[in-house]
Amino acid sequence: MFDKILIANRGEIALRILRACKELGIATVAVHSTADADAMHVRLADESVCIGPPPSKDSYLNVPALLAACEITGADAVHPGYGFLSENARFAEILAEHNLHFIGPKAGHIRLMGDKIEAKKTARKLGIPVVPGSDGAVAPDQDAMAIAKSIGFPVLVKAAAGGGGRGMKVAHTEADLALALTTAANEAKAAFGDASVYLEKYLQKPRHIEIQVLGDGRGGAIHLGERDCSLQRRHQKVWEEGPSPAIDAASRARIGMTVAKAMQELKYLGVGTVEFLYEDGEFYFIEMNTRIQVEHPVTEMITGLDLVLEQIRIAAGGDLPLTQNEVTITGHSIECRVNAENPVTFRPSPGKIQQYHPPGGLGVRIDSAVYQGYVIPPYYDSLVGKLIVHGKSRGECLMRLRRALDEMVVDGIETTLPLFRALVREPAIIDGDYHIHWLEQYLAGQQPA
Amino acid sequence: MARQPDDKAAAKFSSEDSALIRELALLLDETSLSEIEIERAGLRVRVARNINIATSVPVPVQPALAPATAAAAPVVAAAMDLSKHPGVVPSPMVGTAYWAPEPGAKPFIEVGTKVSQGQTLLIIEAMKTMNQIPSPRAGTVTQILVEDGQPVEFGEPLVIIE
Repeated sequence: MFDKILIANRGEIALRILRACKELGIATVAVHSTADADAMHVRLADESVCIGPPPSKDSYLNVPALLAACEITGADAVHPGYGFLSENARFAEILAEHNLHFIGPKAGHIRLMGDKIEAKKTARKLGIPVVPGSDGAVAPDQDAMAIAKSIGFPVLVKAAAGGGGRGMKVAHTEADLALALTTAANEAKAAFGDASVYLEKYLQKPRHIEIQVLGDGRGGAIHLGERDCSLQRRHQKVWEEGPSPAIDAASRARIGMTVAKAMQELKYLGVGTVEFLYEDGEFYFIEMNTRIQVEHPVTEMITGLDLVLEQIRIAAGGDLPLTQNEVTITGHSIECRVNAENPVTFRPSPGKIQQYHPPGGLGVRIDSAVYQGYVIPPYYDSLVGKLIVHGKSRGECLMRLRRALDEMVVDGIETTLPLFRALVREPAIIDGDYHIHWLEQYLAGQQPA
Repeated sequence: MARQPDDKAAAKFSSEDSALIRELALLLDETSLSEIEIERAGLRVRVARNINIATSVPVPVQPALAPATAAAAPVVAAAMDLSKHPGVVPSPMVGTAYWAPEPGAKPFIEVGTKVSQGQTLLIIEAMKTMNQIPSPRAGTVTQILVEDGQPVEFGEPLVIIE
C-alpha cells in the first residue's frame, strides 16, 4: 500500500480523495495554487505545497511543479482526481518514469479512450454497440456528405480529440453539413489542438446512461450498474441519478455484462465509466472516461462501495472488492451539482460565502469543499458542491431531495439551488420522463416534447 | 509501509514507547493541557484527558513540510511574516534550495553581499535539474530565509534584498 499520496487536484474532489486516504491511513500531500491556499483539503492534509500562481496551466497542469512536489515530500503515488491531468496518458507515463504510481488506468488505455475515434473502434471490436457513424475521421466534404446520407440526417459532427460534451455541432439537414464541419473543425483545432472530426447519427431524444466499471488490471472486472445523466445544460451534467428510471433489470444486466466482459478483455485497471446514449431500448456507445467521475457518489450510495478507496487499493495491487454476483443495487440516489452561478442566466458568481448551512439527516450527503467564509476563486470551475441523497425508492429519494434542497443555505453568492428546487417539483422529473435535451428545452421555456 | 492505526501500533510498542506514554500522561496531569500529540519516526501517539472528544478539531495545526528539520520551523515562521516585505524574493518554483553551486563550494551570497540585478542568489533543484535563481534587482542581501537544502514551494520567501 502507498505511504504517501499527492493529491493533484483541487476543490471537492481533492477533499474526497483526502478522506479516502485518511481512512486508509495513508499520508496526504495537498498541492495548490496561490488562489487555493485556504482550501479545506489543504488545511486538513498532512503536508501542503504551493505549486504555482492561479492559472491552471501554471499550477494544476504544471507537470514539473507536480513532480518537484512529489520529490520534496517523498510522495510515492499521485491521485489525479477528475479533469486536469486525470486523462493525460503522458502524465501517467512520466510518473512511471520517475517511479511514482499513478492512481488510475494504464497509460495505454487512457490514450486509447482519449481518442474518441479509436475508442469507438475499440468498443465495436469488444462487442459494445456503437452509434452509427463515419468509420473514423472525415476529411474532404464529398466523403462527409455521402457518409452523412448513409447514416441519415440529422448528424452530429464531433471532435476526435474532444469529449466531455465539447466540440460537437449538429447538422440537421444536408444544407447544414458544410458549415457544421468547418465550424466544428475550427473549434476543435482551437480547443484541443486537433481539427479531426467524425460523424455520428444524431439521436433525437436519447437518454444518457453510463455504466460504472471497476477492473483489477489482471483481467478481472465488474460493473456497478448505471447512472442516468440525461439532465444536461450545454453538455454539462446537472442532475444524475441511479438506477435510471428508464432501465429495467434485464436491460441493466445485459448492457452491464457486455461492458464488464469488454473490460475483462482489455485487462482494464481501476475505475472507468462507459457512456451510452439510450433510445428505443437500444444502447449506443459514445465514449469511455478513464477516471473517477464527478457523479461517482450516486453509485456509491446504491452499492455501498467507496469508489475512491477502491481506486487506491486497486492501484496498489489489491483485488476487486466483490464478485459480480455480490454486487447489489439498493434503493435510489440522486445527485445535484450546485454551481456558483445565477440560476437563470448561469453567469458565474464567484465570491465569499457569507452563510453556509449544508443539509443533513439520514441518506443526505454533501461532497463540497466550501465552508462559511470561503471565497470561491474565479479561476476554476464553479462547483460549490454536490448534494447527494439516497432513499429506499425513487419516490422517497425525491421527497428527501426536496427537503434537503429546501434546507440548504448558501448565501453571499448566487447558486443554482433555485433551479433544483424547481426541478424536483417538475412533473416530468418526478415521472422520470426526460431525455438529454429536456433541460435545455425547460430552461428555454418550451414544453418538453 | 502505511502508517498503522493507533490500536495496531499498540501491539508493537517497546518499553521505550510505554515510558514515553507514561511521561506524556504525567505532563498532561501536571499542566492544563487536555491533549498531547507527538509524532516521530513513523510512530504517532496522542494522549488525551477525555475519551469523548466533545469538539472536533476543524483546523489542525499545520505542520511544517515533513523533510524540514526542527531548525527550519522558526525560519519558516519568520519567513511567513516577511512575504509582504518590499524586498522579498519569492521562489518561482517548487524544489530544494541550495546556497552554493555544489556541495562544499562557497555560497553564492551571504548576509551583507551586494548583488546586481540578475546575479545568482541560490540554486533550486528539481528532478536533478539545477535552476539558478537570479536577483530581481540590485541591492544588499539583508536576510537569507531558507536553510541550505530546504524544500521550498512556489512563492516561498527566499531572500530579502534591500
